[in-house]
Amino acid sequence: MAEEQKEAKPKKRMTATKAAASIGPMVKEFITGTLQAKAEGKYKVAYTFIVCHHEEIFRALDVIPVWTENFAGICGAKRDAERFLQRAESLGFSRSLCTYALCGIGFDQWREELGQMPPEAPWGGQVRPDFMISSGQILCDPRSKWYQASQQFMPDVPIYNIDLPYPLFQENRDHREVLGYYHQYIVKQLRGLVAFLEEQTKKKMDYDRLRELVNLSDRTWNLIDETYKLRRAAPCPMGTGDAMNTMVPINFMMATQKAYDFFVDLKKELEEKIARGEGEVENEKYRLMWGGGLPAWYALNDFNYFNSKGASFPVETTYRMVAPLNEMDLPETKDPIEHLAWRWLGYWTFWYDKAKKRPGSEPDVERLINWIEEYKIDGVVMHEAFSCRTWHVGLIWQLHQLAKIYKPIPVYMIGKGGQKEKVYRELPSLILESDIIDITSYSEVDTRNKIDAFVETLESIQSNRAT
Amino acid sequence: MTKVVILNKGIIASIIGPTGPEQRRLANRVMEEALKQAALSIQEITFIVATGYGRINVPFADKQFTEITCHARGIVHLFPEARTIIDIGGQDVKGIKIDVSGKVIDFVMNDKCAAGSGRFIEVIADTLGVSLDTVGDLSLQSSHPATISNICTIYAQQEVAASLAEGVPLSDLLAGVHQSLADRICRMVNRLRVEQAVIVTGGGGKNRGLLQALSEQLGQEILVPEEPLITGALGAALMGKEIVEKARQNNTPLETKERILGAVEIL
Repeated sequence: MAEEQKEAKPKKRMTATKAAASIGPMVKEFITGTLQAKAEGKYKVAYTFIVCHHEEIFRALDVIPVWTENFAGICGAKRDAERFLQRAESLGFSRSLCTYALCGIGFDQWREELGQMPPEAPWGGQVRPDFMISSGQILCDPRSKWYQASQQFMPDVPIYNIDLPYPLFQENRDHREVLGYYHQYIVKQLRGLVAFLEEQTKKKMDYDRLRELVNLSDRTWNLIDETYKLRRAAPCPMGTGDAMNTMVPINFMMATQKAYDFFVDLKKELEEKIARGEGEVENEKYRLMWGGGLPAWYALNDFNYFNSKGASFPVETTYRMVAPLNEMDLPETKDPIEHLAWRWLGYWTFWYDKAKKRPGSEPDVERLINWIEEYKIDGVVMHEAFSCRTWHVGLIWQLHQLAKIYKPIPVYMIGKGGQKEKVYRELPSLILESDIIDITSYSEVDTRNKIDAFVETLESIQSNRAT
Repeated sequence: MTKVVILNKGIIASIIGPTGPEQRRLANRVMEEALKQAALSIQEITFIVATGYGRINVPFADKQFTEITCHARGIVHLFPEARTIIDIGGQDVKGIKIDVSGKVIDFVMNDKCAAGSGRFIEVIADTLGVSLDTVGDLSLQSSHPATISNICTIYAQQEVAASLAEGVPLSDLLAGVHQSLADRICRMVNRLRVEQAVIVTGGGGKNRGLLQALSEQLGQEILVPEEPLITGALGAALMGKEIVEKARQNNTPLETKERILGAVEIL
């Protein structure tokens, strides 16, 4: 059966930091930990999604989150997703759906059919959940639909859905006018989640413990922000390739001491590298921004390929799901649930005020503009993963907006004869096309040809500036 | 196709040879032909630049550049006013944006789908039993271009065959095929915000029907080099010439490969 044929093992990606290199074993330990927890029956395990600001609630009630997007990503990174995608396809699901969801649905159906893990399941496989927490948030549609599809194969596993909206940006409207309403609604949603988990775990929420966990997350948020800002240094000590590893403690381990300690270590490592003048790339020629899109998990080596051309990636928008809390002006509250709701709204509206100050700007574009300046970026790289509709829709639009808003901003340079000259700083962009885990959409030759051409473009712009 | 351009003060040889699966490792054969045309030996060539998908399969090349850079260089040499280049090849289509100084500032490529490349026309021409050289002129005779709704080359091939059987005139079908390809190319290059002068190069530059459809859909006048197939090779040769001149100016040694014309060994 084609399903049983595995793809060639990928070459290991070289990391720039020790911290990033430690992530693989950490994830493996986490996956095997969920299997062990289920086998022992001591804790409840729940399927759920990242970026829902509910980890603290899970952990306070000793519920172990199983991040289903993470498991699909692992299958992709191990180049072992195709057999699960094919199984979902054979069940009638289209390849154009989110391939994370497709992989998860294929895996679940296979596991349920066998009554045990599929053969050679990556890192022991994805555990059968006790319940599933979906999310009807704006981020993407599989967040509410994926588990409904998976429930066909495990009808005894309940789903609880939390709705997490936020006011969308409107240039002429102050989002604060409706923020209170949104806040009330989200608080109600999160309290509903608490009640559901209490019922499932037969435990009562310990609000002091929840408060401590929220506080730990808040401190981790600020620490991550400080750590990542160190990457402004030239040469850049850590790139996006590594950040695709260090996203693990941000997105899958929030509200744990381990995540906090991880960033304490990473911050120290980056400070030491900066002091030694050590960059991700030996001779940094170009500084690029990963401007959007989930990565092709099976092709993370492409970051090494960029590095081999002297290109480093000091910043990325993908998976940087935190913002400095001290810049958010969140209302004071002693209720941790209320604080989670304010933090949720604070994160999603973080760039709104800044965007309003620049005519024609939008929050996502404003973030790009700010980071282009702060991290001294020479070019933007994006990845259009065909099955990720959420990212895909916005990328081209963001580049267009960026070009409209950014290019007209003149940069004054000293020109011939010592005169100040108005020049328009060029910011080339590269759009890579493939998928998050569907390797059939990827061609290494074509991708690297595009990277070569992009690097030549950067080189040409740099030599132009020098002239 | 594999192309070679040898430059001195001007072009002294230009060759267009086939690139079959075997020829991919046999760039030496096309080079031999070009040398013969120029009446030169390989030892007399100062610097060699390889470009295109097969650029790594040219063991005697001193440097490699992508076709984006080389097309831009070649086109700017021929059309200094060029700002947008559309290269329509059999394998892919590229859009290249260049600035006033002739440097590449942005590009887009379609390398995923045959329906967005010259291959689309090759397949349809083959289905209709028309030679590739004549499809352009034939399509210009059309008064009611057919609508080709399939975006997959294979399905479009079936659609065209079915329409032909229903009696749709050949010229209308070919005009429809050109409009369909021009539509896909436009959608891709519009990402670059097309500016005048627009130059079309590659095999697509030889197809008058496609050029007309493209010009109408872009709403821009299109310029085409006299020999659109060699602009990439010309650009590569010009890049090589610049490297040599720079080295001479700076009095720095030129790093070159041993001048042996050999095939690539596949291990």
